[in-house]
Amino acid sequence: MINTVEKKYNEDSTFNYEVNYQDGTAWTVPHDTANRHYQEILEWVSEGNTITDKGGS
Amino acid sequence: MTVTTIPTAGIADTAVSTAKIADNAVTVSKADFNNVNFKNLIINGDMSIAQRGASFSFNDSSGFTVDRFHFERTSGATGDCTITQESDAPNNTGLVKSVKIAVDTAETPTGGGNICFQQKIEGFNCATLEHGQSSPPSATLTFWVKSNKTGTYSVQIKGEGSTGRYVLFDYTISSANTWEKKTITWVGDTSVALDYDSSRRLRVIWHLASGPDDKVSPTSSWATSSLFQVSTNQVNFFDNTSNEIYITGVQLEVGTSASDFEFLPVDVNERRCFRYFQDYASFKLWTTALDGNTSTRLGGSMAYNTRMRATPSVSKTNNTGTVDSETITDRGYSVFGEKSNRGTTTNVTDLEFDAEL
Repeated sequence: MINTVEKKYNEDSTFNYEVNYQDGTAWTVPHDTANRHYQEILEWVSEGNTITDKGGS
Repeated sequence: MTVTTIPTAGIADTAVSTAKIADNAVTVSKADFNNVNFKNLIINGDMSIAQRGASFSFNDSSGFTVDRFHFERTSGATGDCTITQESDAPNNTGLVKSVKIAVDTAETPTGGGNICFQQKIEGFNCATLEHGQSSPPSATLTFWVKSNKTGTYSVQIKGEGSTGRYVLFDYTISSANTWEKKTITWVGDTSVALDYDSSRRLRVIWHLASGPDDKVSPTSSWATSSLFQVSTNQVNFFDNTSNEIYITGVQLEVGTSASDFEFLPVDVNERRCFRYFQDYASFKLWTTALDGNTSTRLGGSMAYNTRMRATPSVSKTNNTGTVDSETITDRGYSVFGEKSNRGTTTNVTDLEFDAEL
Protein backbone atom coordinates (compact mmCIF):
# COMPACT_ATOMS: atom_id res chain seq x y z
CA MET A 1 0.00 0.00 0.00
CA ILE A 2 1.17 3.50 -0.84
CA ASN A 3 2.47 5.70 1.94
CA THR A 4 3.53 8.88 0.11
CA VAL A 5 3.80 10.17 -3.45
CA GLU A 6 5.90 13.16 -4.55
CA LYS A 7 6.04 14.62 -8.04
CA LYS A 8 9.70 14.98 -9.10
CA TYR A 9 10.58 17.27 -12.01
CA ASN A 10 13.43 16.67 -14.42
CA GLU A 11 15.51 19.42 -15.99
CA ASP A 12 13.58 19.10 -19.23
CA SER A 13 10.28 19.74 -17.40
CA THR A 14 9.18 16.14 -17.67
CA PHE A 15 8.44 14.49 -14.38
CA ASN A 16 8.11 11.21 -12.53
CA TYR A 17 6.59 10.26 -9.20
CA GLU A 18 8.58 9.09 -6.20
CA VAL A 19 6.37 6.54 -4.48
CA ASN A 20 7.04 5.14 -1.02
CA TYR A 21 5.17 2.03 -0.01
CA GLN A 22 4.30 0.95 3.51
CA ASP A 23 6.50 -2.13 3.14
CA GLY A 24 9.53 0.17 2.83
CA THR A 25 10.02 -0.14 -0.91
CA ALA A 26 10.33 2.94 -3.13
CA TRP A 27 9.78 3.30 -6.86
CA THR A 28 10.28 6.06 -9.39
CA VAL A 29 7.09 5.87 -11.43
CA PRO A 30 6.53 7.34 -14.90
CA HIS A 31 3.40 9.26 -15.86
CA ASP A 32 2.04 6.37 -17.92
CA THR A 33 -1.41 4.88 -17.58
CA ALA A 34 -0.06 1.48 -18.67
CA ASN A 35 2.24 1.37 -15.65
CA ARG A 36 0.78 -0.59 -12.75
CA HIS A 37 2.34 1.65 -10.11
CA TYR A 38 0.89 4.73 -11.80
CA GLN A 39 -2.50 2.98 -11.80
CA GLU A 40 -2.04 2.50 -8.04
CA ILE A 41 -1.28 6.22 -7.68
CA LEU A 42 -4.51 7.10 -9.46
CA GLU A 43 -6.44 4.78 -7.16
CA TRP A 44 -4.65 6.22 -4.11
CA VAL A 45 -5.60 9.75 -5.18
CA SER A 46 -9.20 8.70 -5.81
CA GLU A 47 -9.31 7.60 -2.17
CA GLY A 48 -8.66 11.18 -1.12
CA ASN A 49 -4.89 11.23 -0.85
CA THR A 50 -2.71 14.04 -2.24
CA ILE A 51 0.46 14.01 -4.30
CA THR A 52 3.16 16.30 -2.89
CA ASP A 53 4.21 18.82 -5.53
CA LYS A 54 7.07 21.16 -4.62
CA GLY A 55 7.44 22.41 -8.20
CA GLY A 56 10.42 22.27 -10.52
CA SER A 57 13.77 23.96 -9.94
CA MET B 1 -2.17 -55.94 -62.23
CA THR B 2 -0.44 -52.95 -60.74
CA VAL B 3 -2.67 -50.57 -58.87
CA THR B 4 -1.40 -47.03 -59.09
CA THR B 5 -4.37 -45.22 -57.63
CA ILE B 6 -6.65 -46.30 -54.83
CA PRO B 7 -9.82 -44.26 -54.58
CA THR B 8 -10.23 -42.70 -51.15
CA ALA B 9 -13.64 -44.28 -50.89
CA GLY B 10 -12.01 -47.65 -51.36
CA ILE B 11 -10.02 -47.43 -48.14
CA ALA B 12 -11.88 -48.89 -45.22
CA ASP B 13 -11.84 -46.91 -41.98
CA THR B 14 -9.59 -49.45 -40.31
CA ALA B 15 -7.42 -50.33 -43.29
CA VAL B 16 -4.44 -48.11 -42.51
CA SER B 17 -3.38 -49.02 -39.03
CA THR B 18 -0.62 -47.30 -37.08
CA ALA B 19 1.64 -50.32 -37.48
CA LYS B 20 1.47 -50.03 -41.28
CA ILE B 21 2.73 -46.46 -41.30
CA ALA B 22 6.48 -46.14 -41.64
CA ASP B 23 8.20 -44.06 -38.98
CA ASN B 24 9.17 -41.35 -41.43
CA ALA B 25 5.98 -41.41 -43.46
CA VAL B 26 4.08 -38.73 -41.59
CA THR B 27 5.60 -35.31 -41.91
CA VAL B 28 5.14 -32.53 -39.38
CA SER B 29 2.76 -30.73 -41.71
CA LYS B 30 0.50 -33.77 -41.69
CA ALA B 31 0.58 -34.34 -37.97
CA ASP B 32 -2.64 -33.62 -36.18
CA PHE B 33 -1.34 -32.19 -32.96
CA ASN B 34 -0.53 -28.81 -31.57
CA ASN B 35 3.03 -28.54 -32.79
CA VAL B 36 3.21 -24.79 -32.43
CA ASN B 37 6.19 -22.99 -30.99
CA PHE B 38 5.37 -20.80 -28.01
CA LYS B 39 2.03 -22.53 -27.68
CA ASN B 40 2.05 -21.87 -23.94
CA LEU B 41 0.31 -18.58 -23.14
CA ILE B 42 1.72 -18.81 -19.63
CA ILE B 43 5.22 -17.38 -19.25
CA ASN B 44 7.64 -19.10 -16.87
CA GLY B 45 5.19 -21.94 -16.31
CA ASP B 46 8.02 -24.14 -15.04
CA MET B 47 8.70 -21.58 -12.26
CA SER B 48 12.40 -21.57 -13.16
CA ILE B 49 13.03 -17.82 -13.54
CA ALA B 50 13.11 -15.90 -10.26
CA GLN B 51 14.72 -12.50 -10.74
CA ARG B 52 13.24 -11.05 -7.54
CA GLY B 53 14.61 -13.84 -5.37
CA ALA B 54 13.47 -17.23 -4.14
CA SER B 55 11.59 -16.35 -0.97
CA PHE B 56 8.79 -13.87 -0.41
CA SER B 57 6.90 -13.03 2.77
CA PHE B 58 3.44 -11.56 2.59
CA ASN B 59 1.53 -10.11 5.50
CA ASP B 60 -1.54 -8.10 4.61
CA SER B 61 0.07 -7.48 1.25
CA SER B 62 0.23 -8.67 -2.35
CA GLY B 63 3.12 -8.91 -4.78
CA PHE B 64 5.06 -10.74 -7.42
CA THR B 65 6.99 -13.92 -6.64
CA VAL B 66 8.87 -15.94 -9.25
CA ASP B 67 8.70 -14.16 -12.57
CA ARG B 68 5.20 -13.40 -13.88
CA PHE B 69 3.37 -15.09 -10.99
CA HIS B 70 1.54 -12.84 -8.57
CA PHE B 71 0.14 -13.43 -5.10
CA GLU B 72 -2.90 -11.35 -4.19
CA ARG B 73 -5.03 -10.81 -1.13
CA THR B 74 -7.94 -8.42 -1.01
CA SER B 75 -9.61 -6.55 1.82
CA GLY B 76 -11.16 -9.08 4.16
CA ALA B 77 -8.12 -11.34 4.13
CA THR B 78 -4.55 -10.86 5.33
CA GLY B 79 -2.95 -13.67 3.30
CA ASP B 80 -0.09 -14.05 5.75
CA CYS B 81 2.16 -16.57 4.03
CA THR B 82 5.63 -17.34 2.71
CA ILE B 83 6.10 -18.18 -0.95
CA THR B 84 9.31 -19.87 -2.06
CA GLN B 85 10.81 -21.25 -5.22
CA GLU B 86 11.52 -24.92 -4.56
CA SER B 87 13.59 -27.66 -6.18
CA ASP B 88 10.67 -30.03 -5.85
CA ALA B 89 8.85 -31.13 -8.97
CA PRO B 90 7.00 -34.18 -10.29
CA ASN B 91 9.29 -37.00 -11.42
CA ASN B 92 9.82 -37.89 -15.05
CA THR B 93 8.36 -34.68 -16.38
CA GLY B 94 11.47 -32.60 -17.00
CA LEU B 95 10.21 -30.07 -14.51
CA VAL B 96 12.77 -29.04 -11.89
CA LYS B 97 11.33 -26.10 -9.98
CA SER B 98 8.03 -25.31 -8.31
CA VAL B 99 6.47 -22.64 -6.16
CA LYS B 100 5.44 -23.43 -2.61
CA ILE B 101 2.87 -21.36 -0.70
CA ALA B 102 3.05 -21.97 3.06
CA VAL B 103 0.51 -20.47 5.45
CA ASP B 104 2.04 -18.38 8.25
CA THR B 105 -1.14 -17.32 10.04
CA ALA B 106 -4.41 -19.24 9.96
CA GLU B 107 -7.45 -17.23 8.96
CA THR B 108 -10.94 -17.38 7.53
CA PRO B 109 -11.45 -14.58 5.02
CA THR B 110 -14.55 -12.46 5.51
CA GLY B 111 -16.84 -10.58 3.11
CA GLY B 112 -15.16 -10.19 -0.25
CA GLY B 113 -11.76 -11.22 1.02
CA ASN B 114 -9.83 -13.37 -1.42
CA ILE B 115 -6.43 -15.01 -1.40
CA CYS B 116 -5.12 -16.31 -4.69
CA PHE B 117 -2.12 -17.03 -6.90
CA GLN B 118 -2.31 -15.93 -10.51
CA GLN B 119 -0.73 -15.00 -13.79
CA LYS B 120 -1.96 -12.02 -15.79
CA ILE B 121 -1.69 -12.22 -19.58
CA GLU B 122 -1.49 -9.24 -21.91
CA GLY B 123 -3.81 -8.84 -24.87
CA PHE B 124 -1.11 -9.33 -27.49
CA ASN B 125 -0.72 -12.91 -26.29
CA CYS B 126 -4.44 -13.69 -26.25
CA ALA B 127 -5.18 -13.36 -29.97
CA THR B 128 -5.20 -17.12 -30.65
CA LEU B 129 -8.04 -17.57 -28.16
CA GLU B 130 -10.26 -15.63 -30.59
CA HIS B 131 -12.62 -14.38 -27.92
CA GLY B 132 -15.52 -12.36 -29.24
CA GLN B 133 -15.60 -14.24 -32.54
CA SER B 134 -18.32 -16.60 -33.72
CA SER B 135 -16.49 -19.85 -33.12
CA PRO B 136 -13.48 -19.48 -30.85
CA PRO B 137 -11.42 -22.59 -30.21
CA SER B 138 -11.23 -24.46 -26.96
CA ALA B 139 -8.39 -23.81 -24.58
CA THR B 140 -6.76 -26.19 -22.15
CA LEU B 141 -5.01 -25.43 -18.88
CA THR B 142 -2.62 -27.95 -17.41
CA PHE B 143 -0.72 -27.76 -14.14
CA TRP B 144 0.86 -29.94 -11.49
CA VAL B 145 -0.15 -29.45 -7.87
CA LYS B 146 0.75 -31.00 -4.51
CA SER B 147 -0.57 -30.22 -1.04
CA ASN B 148 -1.00 -31.74 2.38
CA LYS B 149 -4.53 -30.31 2.35
CA THR B 150 -6.71 -32.43 0.14
CA GLY B 151 -10.12 -31.39 -1.15
CA THR B 152 -11.73 -29.21 -3.76
CA TYR B 153 -10.02 -26.09 -5.05
CA SER B 154 -11.03 -23.76 -7.85
CA VAL B 155 -9.40 -22.14 -10.85
CA GLN B 156 -10.91 -19.04 -12.40
CA ILE B 157 -10.20 -17.93 -15.96
CA LYS B 158 -10.94 -14.24 -15.94
CA GLY B 159 -11.40 -12.32 -19.19
CA GLU B 160 -10.85 -8.59 -18.91
CA GLY B 161 -12.23 -7.10 -22.08
CA SER B 162 -14.83 -4.32 -22.22
CA THR B 163 -16.89 -6.46 -19.82
CA GLY B 164 -15.50 -8.78 -17.18
CA ARG B 165 -16.10 -12.44 -18.00
CA TYR B 166 -15.14 -15.69 -16.34
CA VAL B 167 -15.34 -19.44 -16.29
CA LEU B 168 -14.77 -21.26 -13.02
CA PHE B 169 -13.71 -24.84 -12.46
CA ASP B 170 -13.27 -27.15 -9.50
CA TYR B 171 -10.31 -29.47 -9.26
CA THR B 172 -9.59 -31.96 -6.54
CA ILE B 173 -6.37 -32.70 -4.71
CA SER B 174 -6.99 -36.34 -3.94
CA SER B 175 -3.83 -37.61 -2.27
CA ALA B 176 -1.93 -35.67 0.36
CA ASN B 177 1.65 -34.68 -0.45
CA THR B 178 1.51 -36.27 -3.90
CA TRP B 179 2.07 -34.52 -7.22
CA GLU B 180 -1.10 -34.61 -9.30
CA LYS B 181 -1.58 -33.35 -12.86
CA LYS B 182 -4.74 -31.36 -13.49
CA THR B 183 -6.22 -30.59 -16.90
CA ILE B 184 -9.12 -28.25 -17.54
CA THR B 185 -10.65 -27.48 -20.94
CA TRP B 186 -13.21 -24.90 -21.93
CA VAL B 187 -14.64 -23.28 -25.06
CA GLY B 188 -13.69 -19.68 -25.78
CA ASP B 189 -16.01 -16.76 -25.11
CA THR B 190 -18.10 -15.70 -28.12
CA SER B 191 -19.45 -12.57 -26.45
CA VAL B 192 -16.59 -10.34 -25.35
CA ALA B 193 -13.35 -9.82 -27.26
CA LEU B 194 -9.99 -9.48 -25.56
CA ASP B 195 -8.40 -6.32 -26.93
CA TYR B 196 -5.18 -6.81 -28.89
CA ASP B 197 -2.97 -4.56 -26.82
CA SER B 198 -0.39 -4.58 -24.04
CA SER B 199 -2.92 -4.32 -21.23
CA ARG B 200 -4.04 -7.08 -18.90
CA ARG B 201 -6.71 -9.08 -20.74
CA LEU B 202 -6.78 -12.55 -19.18
CA ARG B 203 -5.95 -14.00 -15.80
CA VAL B 204 -5.46 -17.57 -14.67
CA ILE B 205 -6.28 -17.62 -10.97
CA TRP B 206 -5.71 -20.39 -8.45
CA HIS B 207 -7.96 -19.59 -5.51
CA LEU B 208 -6.72 -20.51 -2.06
CA ALA B 209 -9.28 -19.05 0.33
CA SER B 210 -12.25 -16.72 0.07
CA GLY B 211 -14.92 -15.00 2.10
CA PRO B 212 -18.59 -15.70 1.36
CA ASP B 213 -19.32 -12.70 -0.89
CA ASP B 214 -17.61 -13.95 -4.05
CA LYS B 215 -18.54 -17.61 -3.85
CA VAL B 216 -20.56 -18.93 -6.77
CA SER B 217 -21.22 -22.22 -8.50
CA PRO B 218 -18.52 -23.36 -10.89
CA THR B 219 -19.38 -22.84 -14.55
CA SER B 220 -17.84 -23.85 -17.85
CA SER B 221 -20.04 -21.31 -19.65
CA TRP B 222 -18.70 -17.79 -19.72
CA ALA B 223 -20.50 -15.59 -17.20
CA THR B 224 -20.30 -11.88 -16.52
CA SER B 225 -18.41 -10.47 -13.55
CA SER B 226 -15.34 -8.33 -13.09
CA LEU B 227 -14.73 -9.74 -9.60
CA PHE B 228 -12.85 -12.67 -8.25
CA GLN B 229 -15.28 -15.56 -8.35
CA VAL B 230 -14.60 -18.58 -6.20
CA SER B 231 -16.32 -21.93 -6.16
CA THR B 232 -18.70 -22.66 -3.29
CA ASN B 233 -16.82 -25.95 -3.03
CA GLN B 234 -13.44 -24.27 -2.46
CA VAL B 235 -11.55 -25.40 0.66
CA ASN B 236 -10.03 -22.83 2.99
CA PHE B 237 -6.35 -23.50 2.36
CA PHE B 238 -5.50 -20.87 4.98
CA ASP B 239 -7.21 -22.70 7.87
CA ASN B 240 -4.00 -24.11 9.32
CA THR B 241 -0.37 -22.99 9.53
CA SER B 242 0.78 -26.47 8.55
CA ASN B 243 -0.80 -26.09 5.10
CA GLU B 244 1.38 -25.80 2.05
CA ILE B 245 0.72 -26.14 -1.65
CA TYR B 246 3.12 -26.58 -4.57
CA ILE B 247 2.37 -25.59 -8.17
CA THR B 248 4.41 -26.01 -11.36
CA GLY B 249 4.22 -27.06 -15.00
CA VAL B 250 1.55 -24.52 -15.84
CA GLN B 251 0.51 -24.48 -19.49
CA LEU B 252 -2.38 -22.73 -21.19
CA GLU B 253 -2.77 -23.64 -24.84
CA VAL B 254 -5.31 -23.57 -27.63
CA GLY B 255 -6.92 -26.96 -28.17
CA THR B 256 -9.19 -29.52 -26.63
CA SER B 257 -6.48 -31.58 -25.01
CA ALA B 258 -3.25 -31.10 -23.11
CA SER B 259 0.02 -31.54 -24.94
CA ASP B 260 3.43 -32.03 -23.35
CA PHE B 261 4.79 -29.07 -21.43
CA GLU B 262 6.70 -26.74 -23.70
CA PHE B 263 10.21 -26.32 -22.33
CA LEU B 264 12.03 -23.25 -23.57
CA PRO B 265 15.79 -22.68 -23.49
CA VAL B 266 16.63 -20.73 -20.35
CA ASP B 267 17.75 -17.66 -22.32
CA VAL B 268 14.45 -17.58 -24.20
CA ASN B 269 12.40 -18.10 -21.06
CA GLU B 270 14.32 -15.37 -19.27
CA ARG B 271 14.01 -12.93 -22.15
CA ARG B 272 10.23 -13.41 -22.18
CA CYS B 273 10.20 -12.46 -18.51
CA PHE B 274 12.34 -9.38 -19.25
CA ARG B 275 9.37 -7.82 -21.05
CA TYR B 276 7.77 -7.40 -17.63
CA PHE B 277 10.62 -7.15 -15.13
CA GLN B 278 14.38 -6.68 -15.29
CA ASP B 279 16.78 -6.87 -12.39
CA TYR B 280 20.28 -5.40 -12.58
CA ALA B 281 21.51 -6.25 -9.08
CA SER B 282 25.02 -4.94 -8.33
CA PHE B 283 25.19 -3.16 -11.67
CA LYS B 284 26.37 0.42 -11.18
CA LEU B 285 25.28 3.21 -13.45
CA TRP B 286 27.76 6.08 -12.99
CA THR B 287 27.35 9.75 -13.66
CA THR B 288 30.01 12.39 -13.11
CA ALA B 289 29.70 16.12 -12.60
CA LEU B 290 32.82 17.65 -14.14
CA ASP B 291 34.86 19.89 -11.90
CA GLY B 292 34.84 23.56 -12.89
CA ASN B 293 31.99 23.41 -15.37
CA THR B 294 28.47 22.89 -14.20
CA SER B 295 27.03 22.80 -17.68
CA THR B 296 28.98 19.88 -19.10
CA ARG B 297 28.10 17.09 -16.77
CA LEU B 298 28.18 13.48 -17.75
CA GLY B 299 25.14 11.36 -17.40
CA GLY B 300 24.62 7.63 -17.36
CA SER B 301 22.31 5.72 -19.62
CA MET B 302 21.50 2.14 -20.42
CA ALA B 303 19.36 0.18 -22.84
CA TYR B 304 17.36 -2.72 -21.44
CA ASN B 305 17.95 -6.34 -22.37
CA THR B 306 14.70 -6.27 -24.25
CA ARG B 307 11.98 -3.72 -24.85
CA MET B 308 9.56 -3.68 -21.95
CA ARG B 309 5.79 -3.99 -22.12
CA ALA B 310 5.28 -0.39 -21.00
CA THR B 311 7.30 2.40 -19.44
CA PRO B 312 8.57 0.73 -16.28
CA SER B 313 8.86 1.92 -12.73
CA VAL B 314 12.40 2.09 -11.40
CA SER B 315 13.73 0.95 -8.06
CA LYS B 316 17.32 1.81 -7.26
CA THR B 317 19.88 2.57 -4.61
CA ASN B 318 21.51 5.97 -4.91
CA ASN B 319 24.96 5.40 -3.44
CA THR B 320 26.66 8.78 -3.77
CA GLY B 321 25.79 12.24 -4.98
CA THR B 322 22.30 13.38 -5.89
CA VAL B 323 20.12 12.25 -8.75
CA ASP B 324 18.76 15.28 -10.52
CA SER B 325 16.84 13.92 -13.49
CA GLU B 326 15.70 10.52 -14.71
CA THR B 327 14.34 9.66 -18.12
CA ILE B 328 12.47 6.39 -18.28
CA THR B 329 11.18 4.79 -21.46
CA ASP B 330 10.20 1.27 -22.45
CA ARG B 331 13.59 0.88 -24.17
CA GLY B 332 16.07 2.40 -21.75
CA TYR B 333 16.89 4.57 -18.77
CA SER B 334 19.10 7.60 -18.19
CA VAL B 335 20.06 9.48 -15.07
CA PHE B 336 21.85 12.77 -14.43
CA GLY B 337 23.69 13.96 -11.35
CA GLU B 338 22.95 17.09 -9.36
CA LYS B 339 24.62 20.07 -10.97
CA SER B 340 25.84 21.65 -7.70
CA ASN B 341 27.98 18.66 -6.85
CA ARG B 342 30.91 19.57 -9.07
CA GLY B 343 33.80 17.18 -9.00
CA THR B 344 31.77 14.41 -7.47
CA THR B 345 30.37 11.28 -8.92
CA THR B 346 26.97 9.76 -8.59
CA ASN B 347 26.03 6.18 -9.07
CA VAL B 348 22.83 4.31 -8.82
CA THR B 349 22.87 0.57 -8.36
CA ASP B 350 20.58 -2.41 -7.76
CA LEU B 351 18.35 -1.18 -10.52
CA GLU B 352 15.04 -2.90 -11.04
CA PHE B 353 12.60 -2.09 -13.83
CA ASP B 354 8.98 -3.13 -13.42
CA ALA B 355 6.46 -3.14 -16.28
CA GLU B 356 4.29 -5.91 -14.87
CA LEU B 357 0.60 -6.15 -15.51
